Amino acid sequence: MTAALSIQGLNKSFAGVRAITDLSFEVPKGVTTALIGPNGAGKTTVFNLVSGVYGVDAGTITANGVDITHMPSRKRISTGIARSFQNIRLMSHLTVLENMLVGQHVRNTSLRALLTPYRLFPNHRWKVEARAALAESGLEEWANETVGALPYGVRKRIDLVRATLAGASVLMLDEPAAGLNPSETNALRDHLKALMAKGITLLVVEHDMHFVDSICENVVVLNFGEKIAEGPLSQVRQNAKVREAYIGAEEV
Amino acid sequence: MRGSMLAQQIVNGLMLGAIYMLMAVAFTLAIGVLNFLNFSLPGLFMLGGMVAYGFIKFGWPTLFAFAAALAVAALVSLLVERFAYRPMQGGDPEVPLVSSLGFLVLLENLMLIYFGSDQQAFPALVPDLNLRLGGLVIGIAQLGSLALSVLLVLWLSWFLSSTSTGRCIRTVAENRDTAVLMGIDTGRLVPMLFIASALLAAVAGLLFAVNYQQVSPFMGEGVGFKGVAAMIVGGMGSIWGAVLGGLLIGLAEVLSISFIGADVVNITVYGLLLVILILRPQGLLGRPATREKL
Amino acid sequence: MSGYLTGVLVVLAFNVMAAYAVYLPLAAGQLNLGIAGFMAIGAYASAFLTNEYAWPMWAAIPVGAGLAGLTGLLIGIPVLRTHGIYLAMATFALGQVISALFLNLEVVGGAAGYPVSDYVGPNGVFLAAAAVVVLMLYLSRTRFALYLTAVKSDPTVADLLGVSVRGIQVAAFALGAAVAGFGGAFYAHHYNFVEAQHFNVLLSVFTVLYVLFGGTQTVWGPLVGAAFFTLAPELLRASDQWRYALFAVFIIVFMAIRPQGLVTTSLLRFARRKPAAESSEAA
Repeated sequence: MTAALSIQGLNKSFAGVRAITDLSFEVPKGVTTALIGPNGAGKTTVFNLVSGVYGVDAGTITANGVDITHMPSRKRISTGIARSFQNIRLMSHLTVLENMLVGQHVRNTSLRALLTPYRLFPNHRWKVEARAALAESGLEEWANETVGALPYGVRKRIDLVRATLAGASVLMLDEPAAGLNPSETNALRDHLKALMAKGITLLVVEHDMHFVDSICENVVVLNFGEKIAEGPLSQVRQNAKVREAYIGAEEV
Repeated sequence: MRGSMLAQQIVNGLMLGAIYMLMAVAFTLAIGVLNFLNFSLPGLFMLGGMVAYGFIKFGWPTLFAFAAALAVAALVSLLVERFAYRPMQGGDPEVPLVSSLGFLVLLENLMLIYFGSDQQAFPALVPDLNLRLGGLVIGIAQLGSLALSVLLVLWLSWFLSSTSTGRCIRTVAENRDTAVLMGIDTGRLVPMLFIASALLAAVAGLLFAVNYQQVSPFMGEGVGFKGVAAMIVGGMGSIWGAVLGGLLIGLAEVLSISFIGADVVNITVYGLLLVILILRPQGLLGRPATREKL
Repeated sequence: MSGYLTGVLVVLAFNVMAAYAVYLPLAAGQLNLGIAGFMAIGAYASAFLTNEYAWPMWAAIPVGAGLAGLTGLLIGIPVLRTHGIYLAMATFALGQVISALFLNLEVVGGAAGYPVSDYVGPNGVFLAAAAVVVLMLYLSRTRFALYLTAVKSDPTVADLLGVSVRGIQVAAFALGAAVAGFGGAFYAHHYNFVEAQHFNVLLSVFTVLYVLFGGTQTVWGPLVGAAFFTLAPELLRASDQWRYALFAVFIIVFMAIRPQGLVTTSLLRFARRKPAAESSEAA
């Protein structure tokens, strides 16, 4: 079986400074994986390389068996890999519902879809689908608000729902629990478990180790752009290198 | 004969280029530091010439009239800062451009009401002496203008690189948020920049009036737009880019008039701008933009 | 209808068409300061076809619009690699070059101007403007309009969600150019005379001015902006020489108070909600 995401020998430097060095790991289908490490370890850089925000210096990236290493960033989502953003990137001029509709784009790319006057139909299937997705996360009351003014926790969840609407089989989530209160974190956990039950593979960057422990089967630990450990969280915790990397940082 | 004519046209092109250069530096200060395409600057250029003309006609001594013109331009520029720039922070970038354009229209129409739309003859202030070098004829006024322009730019360049205020300005240009964190008082610096760019534009207007001995309410448009072109050809935010761009545009204009015809000026000047923008959008001496971070 | 009123309304119709030509790319975050150049292409091309080849207007006008759109497409592809102020300046330069080219093109009269023999009456012009408005209203209900805003709001994320940012930008730019050419073609055949000097920077810049005044958040903004800018100076005609100065003061003060323009999404939502709230109170 092909892996959901496979990274081999990845290297990236910025202005001569090495950000990622010889990184290799796989995310098998259905195995929720966490990418952890101290601040500045290169976790978000990995996401940016996989989604194509930056080009790689060396190495290959394969999503669902397709080599996406040199694919234009725009086309990568059609191989079934979507992402959320650490510093929530919603389109602030659009309403919540409209953000969802943009999220559906990759499944509606024909010229006909582009020119269908869906706004003339109050119950167009796109809107029905987007409202249903919002309702699943208890967000339907915000559907017609412009996103700019919404509370942080709400925008965070909207960002996640938009990523799911691409219909991707692999979701990369950049610190989904950061800044959420305990009850919001619980709701997020339920949401992610529901996605996992639908067969979606998750790759999560996260600092909250209780959260990681509660959903992830496999953990990849980065430090200074290199993989220093991999395995179930209970095992990596015992790893001396991991303990050293986290000294003075946060408890593992 | 042909060679000396070319040399003469190159000299004329450089003289005109000096005026564009001052305008380009004025624009580049506003763009480079404040990220503001200030379309009121052609209006301030026109004020430099028209207000001086008005006061001279009034009977004021020439130097007083010049000083008054500069002062008026600086004051109006503070109004532009207050009403076109300050309220628009954080909005769409096109909006301050529109408001500053409103100022251009306002200034032009005020002058139109007072002086009429005709071109006015600006008195000849500098004796009509010419230097003759080989086959070249160089007017004293032209030479003085070029020298003054170059001195102004040299001084500005020294000011920005060697004084503490200059360093503050460059920090703001680099990153406004960092500058505020470092305790730089942008509330004081921004109006200063508006005054500085207004003075550059008004000086250019004065030099234009003295050299070409004519002023009109609409004299700022053509020169101002070419100043913008010069700034972009050279590279936005770069003083030496503005100098290079100004001289190039001046040369392109004078050479195409004398060798092809007056009607093609806009084709060569703006064609040059278009080609530069397509091939090297950051301009000849500008730095390329970097991709944003997620 | 009096001749004066008809004359004003015809100007309004032309301004509305120009406004939507600027609005389309602006909705995607691109400032086109060269719209007059595309109007000139539509005007000269269609006039050349009706004058020299005796084409009927119903064929010549769309071809003129199409040529303007094609020019927008071909030039948009390299020019839209630039962003922000660079793009604005590139379109500005483009407008200058196009109108200077026509000024020097002797087959269409050069600097002396180009008389046009076929005539379109005021009703034809009104119909053309109405068609443009209907097209824009239609587009505003589609994903195309949604992506225009998405691309303006956050091009990086739009790209990662699979939206072709370049494709949307080029399409908006070219379609805007075609609309400008369409308006220009009607201009040539209504006034029966074209001169390159008419299609100058100030025409481009004033169009941008009233689009921003009306507001770019909704499809109604350009219409309102064009109407205000056409009718207000007429109302100020009494004060004659002061009218443009007063008008400029008004623009400055207005933009300082309401930089997002007159018509905004929240304003429309408020207007829509209010009757609903009243009816629920009654019940």
